[in-house]
Amino acid sequence: MNHSRRDFLWNIGGGLGGLAVSQMLAQEALSVENKQPRSEFNGGLHHRAKVKRVIQLFMTGGASPMDTFDYKPELERLHGQKLGPTEKPEGFTAPVGAIMKSPFKFNQYGESGRWVSSVFPHQAEVVDEMAFLMAMASKTNVHGPATYMMNSGFLLPGFPSLGAWVSYGLGNLTEELPNFVVLPDAKGLPYNQKGPFSSGFLSAVHQGTVIKAADQRPIRDLFANERYDFATRSADRDGFELLQKLNAKHAAEFSDHSQLDARIKSYELAARMQLSAPEAFDISRESEETHKAFGLDNKITEDFGRRCLLARRLVERGTRFVQVWSGPQGATGNWDNHGSIPKELPPIAASVDLPIAALIRDLKARGLFEDTLLIWTTEFGRTPFAQGGDGRDHNGGTFVTWLAGAGIKAGVSHGQSDDWGYQAAEGKTYCYDFHATILHLLGIDHKRLTVRQNGIDRRLTDVHGHVIEEIIS
Amino acid sequence: MEHKKLRRCIVRHRQTHRKFYPSIGLPILIVMALCLAVAAQESTQDADGERFFLDQIEPVLKTHCLECHSHSSGEMEGGLTLDWQRGWAVGGDQGPAIVPGKPEKSLLIKAVKHSGADLQMPPEEKLSDKEIELLVEWIRRGAPDPRTNQPKMSDQGDPTDWWSLRPLKRPAVPQTAKTEGEEINPIDAFVRRQLRSKGLTSTPRADRRTLIRRLSFDLHGLAPSPDEVDSFENDLDPAAYMKLINRLLDSPRYGEHWARHWLDAVHFADSHGCEHDVFRPNAWHYRDYVIASFNRDTQWSRFIREQLAADWFYPEQTHLTAALGFISAGPLELSRASTAPVTFDYLERDDIVTQTMAVFASTTANCARCHTHKFDPITQDDYYSLQAVFAGGGKGDVEYDIDPEVAKKRQRWNAVLEAAKNKDESQLLSPEHVESIAMWEQNLGENTSLWQPLFPKTFLSSDGATLTRLDDNSLLASGNRPDKDTYTISASPSLKTLTSLRLDVLTDDRLPMKGPGRCDNGNLHLSEISAFLFDAEDAEPKQLTFRKARADWNQSGWTIDHAIDGNIKTAWGIFPKVGDSHYAVFELEQPVELTYSSQIVIQLQQQHGGSHLIGRFKLYVTDADSATAIVLPDAVRTAIKLPGDDRSIQQDLAVASYVLQRKAEQELADLPSQTSVYAWSSQYSHGKKLPNSMTPKTVHVLRRGDIEKPGNVAMPGALSAIQILPSRFELKTPNDEASRRAALADWLAENENPLTWRSIVNRVWMQHFGRGLCETPNDFGRMGGVPSHPELLDWLAVWFRDDANGSLKELHRLILSSSTWKQQARITSRSTIASPENDGPALDTENRFLWRMTPRPLDAESFRDAVLQISGRIDFSAGGPGVQQFTQTKGAQLTPYLDYGAFDWKQPEAARRSIYRVVWRGTPDPFMESLDFPDLGLLPAKRGYSVSALQALALFNNDFVLHHSQVLANKLQAEHVNLDEQLVQALRLIHLRKSNSNEIELLVAYAQQHGLAATCRVLLNSNEFMIVY
Repeated sequence: MNHSRRDFLWNIGGGLGGLAVSQMLAQEALSVENKQPRSEFNGGLHHRAKVKRVIQLFMTGGASPMDTFDYKPELERLHGQKLGPTEKPEGFTAPVGAIMKSPFKFNQYGESGRWVSSVFPHQAEVVDEMAFLMAMASKTNVHGPATYMMNSGFLLPGFPSLGAWVSYGLGNLTEELPNFVVLPDAKGLPYNQKGPFSSGFLSAVHQGTVIKAADQRPIRDLFANERYDFATRSADRDGFELLQKLNAKHAAEFSDHSQLDARIKSYELAARMQLSAPEAFDISRESEETHKAFGLDNKITEDFGRRCLLARRLVERGTRFVQVWSGPQGATGNWDNHGSIPKELPPIAASVDLPIAALIRDLKARGLFEDTLLIWTTEFGRTPFAQGGDGRDHNGGTFVTWLAGAGIKAGVSHGQSDDWGYQAAEGKTYCYDFHATILHLLGIDHKRLTVRQNGIDRRLTDVHGHVIEEIIS
Repeated sequence: MEHKKLRRCIVRHRQTHRKFYPSIGLPILIVMALCLAVAAQESTQDADGERFFLDQIEPVLKTHCLECHSHSSGEMEGGLTLDWQRGWAVGGDQGPAIVPGKPEKSLLIKAVKHSGADLQMPPEEKLSDKEIELLVEWIRRGAPDPRTNQPKMSDQGDPTDWWSLRPLKRPAVPQTAKTEGEEINPIDAFVRRQLRSKGLTSTPRADRRTLIRRLSFDLHGLAPSPDEVDSFENDLDPAAYMKLINRLLDSPRYGEHWARHWLDAVHFADSHGCEHDVFRPNAWHYRDYVIASFNRDTQWSRFIREQLAADWFYPEQTHLTAALGFISAGPLELSRASTAPVTFDYLERDDIVTQTMAVFASTTANCARCHTHKFDPITQDDYYSLQAVFAGGGKGDVEYDIDPEVAKKRQRWNAVLEAAKNKDESQLLSPEHVESIAMWEQNLGENTSLWQPLFPKTFLSSDGATLTRLDDNSLLASGNRPDKDTYTISASPSLKTLTSLRLDVLTDDRLPMKGPGRCDNGNLHLSEISAFLFDAEDAEPKQLTFRKARADWNQSGWTIDHAIDGNIKTAWGIFPKVGDSHYAVFELEQPVELTYSSQIVIQLQQQHGGSHLIGRFKLYVTDADSATAIVLPDAVRTAIKLPGDDRSIQQDLAVASYVLQRKAEQELADLPSQTSVYAWSSQYSHGKKLPNSMTPKTVHVLRRGDIEKPGNVAMPGALSAIQILPSRFELKTPNDEASRRAALADWLAENENPLTWRSIVNRVWMQHFGRGLCETPNDFGRMGGVPSHPELLDWLAVWFRDDANGSLKELHRLILSSSTWKQQARITSRSTIASPENDGPALDTENRFLWRMTPRPLDAESFRDAVLQISGRIDFSAGGPGVQQFTQTKGAQLTPYLDYGAFDWKQPEAARRSIYRVVWRGTPDPFMESLDFPDLGLLPAKRGYSVSALQALALFNNDFVLHHSQVLANKLQAEHVNLDEQLVQALRLIHLRKSNSNEIELLVAYAQQHGLAATCRVLLNSNEFMIVY
């Protein structure tokens, strides 16, 4: 093959060098503003990245702020008074009840003196690691749209989630593990099923790979189902080799298309993933102390703890974005405590509290906080008014989110809700600002990461978003 | 391509307000000196102020304000411009925006601080505190602004002067040298001219094996069989290729494959999606409709009309109701529908408008939801006019008759039923019914006086209601209305035998809802009826027992059996058929003999509570055999006793109405049951069925798309940019929502609509070549692509509309028979003349100018179907309910839990074509997703083609592939004895070619060690199979 011909072919394929194969054929024209990740930016696109990987914890159902992190003494004073709206606001599920104080005791913790309720005794101990957004707001009070919004920035289905955008913008740190991993609650998928980790209109390679942490086969199709006895490990190994030979012979005849090269490479990577993924998913390799620290010895914390530990093992090995979900969709076993705050909140809170504290300590101890960001999110808050007896209804008016790790100013808080914790009062932030900040830490200008779709240059932050300077270091 | 508006050129006019005062005398000198000092200071201030403006203020205005408040953007919201000094000084609708020196009095500052609820700018994004401070400081300094010249209006020129909006004209086909008198396909003439101008050359025609494989996957999404390849390769007929195209187009497999392209485009799925991802068991009728439409080659304009308003255009062809599944193809946000209904309507219609305009007109009308379209001539008013088209209905299961003849009958008998209920004289007494009424009377014979009304001698209410006997011997309850009551009535029947009792509950104007109950809603609950017989000789009463009971109407769950079940907690009810009289007949266990002195006492217990009491009623007895006991209303009974000539019109009407109502009910009950399709109807709103059709809802133009800021009421219409067509519809019956949809369909299907015809030919082209002539099939606006071959696109649009008369099959024939399409994919030395060294700029690496065929990987369905086909198990049965290739268990909420891994591929339904799979919008098949099956939450513009390690693993290890590798191996082993032959045949089936000894050697070595199934798995993963050249 002469030189010019090779150049020519090279150009057709866009080149193979350095570029993640997974992205090579994703036929999305990066808009002119988008660039390749750059080493002088520490892997960022537009400026120096402080963060390379992200773990997102998501509390399905709408974690109650005034019963966890947003201490509201005013509610104690007004407890039992009917002061809320007289008509059911759009998105509430029931008429509004009387003001309800938190049934839990609050104390101040750490040097930062953060108020934390008694449902989070373990997180209270590491509260100085976190930066709080105390006045996050949602544009909806409905689970489905709100879950989309916190993940994709839009109220509607079909838009790429944060993890998909990050995968699209920055590519892989390792080719041997899935780039965007989702660890759903063992009890089921969140609201909108797989919607919150869809790649939307981005290529399918950016969608979240669902891993069933407690399953015998955590990654779907990593290996053949045992019922196909011909698909042994040695048949796999020799099969990949045979396939590469057949493909090479074929390419010699039809070597005019990069798709062939890309597909050849993809099988090489598949073979490598078969070797590295089982090791990554094998938490038995962790010490007994670690198991204990994450609560794997306790039925209450076991499921969430296992997934937190798995998340750590994955980011450690180069997975870019991991989502850990607490609670399935539905009316029970999650954070959607309509029925009774004192009865429903403590068990779900206890299931995550110890594992989260352990995850923070572990990430820190291993030096992963140097370039790993940990975020704690939910779809909206809850009303300061009682629903039914002592439950609380949905409220997008204000809620709490925290961030910890790389690039974060630990121990600070930004924003404030009103005296009832009903609406954001000061420093109100939306998912747009939150997402803009995360992208910023990853070295991405949220306004410049765009994809044109049906006539619109779409971005994660729509037409909004400010980097929240107050919480970044 | 970039669509940045051209930057306005600011002409800087340095303003120097130097003042000069003549000097006379000392005091004056002093004054003068002072003045000069001030002047000098002012001059410095001017220069500083100007710099301050240019450095600090103008960037803020440019970034945040000018998009909606400038000449160049063509938008002056609220009449305000901020791109020159006079703009803010004169101000907009609310007066001057800035009072120089007085930030606290300046509207601009009020707006940017978001201090008032009514004026917050920019509306979506508040400025940073620093930016606001800068603006305040600027105004405090007197708002120096050097921009004194009025800027030019938008320099985009006429916004409708854009390729896709220009009227369609047929361009001349380029003259090409004809070779040996052969007709040149006009497509080739256009393409070659462009290639020549770029210094490129086309590639020779592909060989026949390649062509038949390409054609089969293109038209059927299936591989050809090896025999078909052989016969095509050996067909000496010069028309062999056209014969092949025609054969493929005539096969039902064509519609099954091409329907999928359309179902993608309209984001069709078998479930709602979103939080409550509920199954739509009847959605598949639309899928079958689309398949049938492609197969029967429905004319494009008709396809548009059917899908938007089949009920309006073709009311008698009721089977076309399924076409309306188009409107409801997208998601339904059930959680929002129930808890946030106000926003629901606008967002639901937004999705429908977006879909309709994208797929038929390649227009992004939805970009004008919050403001007039920033790049295309689509106003916000246009957008809400489109919303108004869909304001009169909702998504839901719509019932229809697949057989139009049945529909006709149903319509007829429903009309009769309606007339009978309304006592419509002109219809009921019309000659067509005379005979059936006469027949009925004849059959009735002597049975006319079967029921004897009871004359109530005593009647009592247990709980203080007043019972009054009326002239017709019925009893009316009035006065006190207790919670519960029991009526006791005694009478002396004059029958010798008693077989049944009858209770009529009657309407009365004095009762709530006209009764017949006393409850506010007109309902009643009869808990228990009991009857006692007193014979004169016998002092002890004898309780009569009932064998069975029937009623003309039972409330759901409140049947008449409950009145004789001995259980006081259950009862008979008649809701929601209140305002009508009803009757119940109670048959005695056995007939009882009555004497002259017999008395009967009847008790009606009404113990449900809530005043569910009988308002007016009448009792009857009979001695007739129960089976023939016909309950006739009094008026009818009286009338039929008279000879025909003696009856009044009223009496004729009573008889006719009685007879025809029963006949109509019987006829309707005998018709085959209706079919349902998940579609669109004025009887649905927010995912729920309404008791009656709604009148269209009012749609407001929402300022900034904000539900809290409703503006003018929008009238049904379309785009004003197509000036040749009316942009607002003049409707004779605007409240008939179908007429709105029909008007939009007409607007779209109009010959003069330039978007429609360009849109469809581009969409078809995209499927044949892998990319459209315009690369953005849903957007022909300024944010979309521009066509690579604009004249070809226009020529095809006109040809398709006029010459092909909207036939897609004709369009396929034209494209597929072009030399352009038949080129080979492999790059030959000839086409590489344009190499980077000698002709870099002209090098077309992406093949936009079509100097060869672009190879493409199999899409998800084609891979799956071809594997089923090669393994010999594909089931070509067509249509019907979707096959669920997963197991389903109850989920936490309404959405079930689907497990694709648990599906047993041995099941017979595993072998159906992919188009017949149930597609669950929120939980799609992960295997299909790994092969780029799109997310159907939004409108996918086109399929992507990705390659990744996870995809490779799915293709290598997914149960579907492994199962069918085994099936294929079994088949090969059954057909061929030795391994070599089995492998030769495997290559013949999968790669459609003869094998060479080298590769057979490789395969044999592997197969000997790992088996034939493992070898088939490798071959099904090979590039040669996965890619179509």
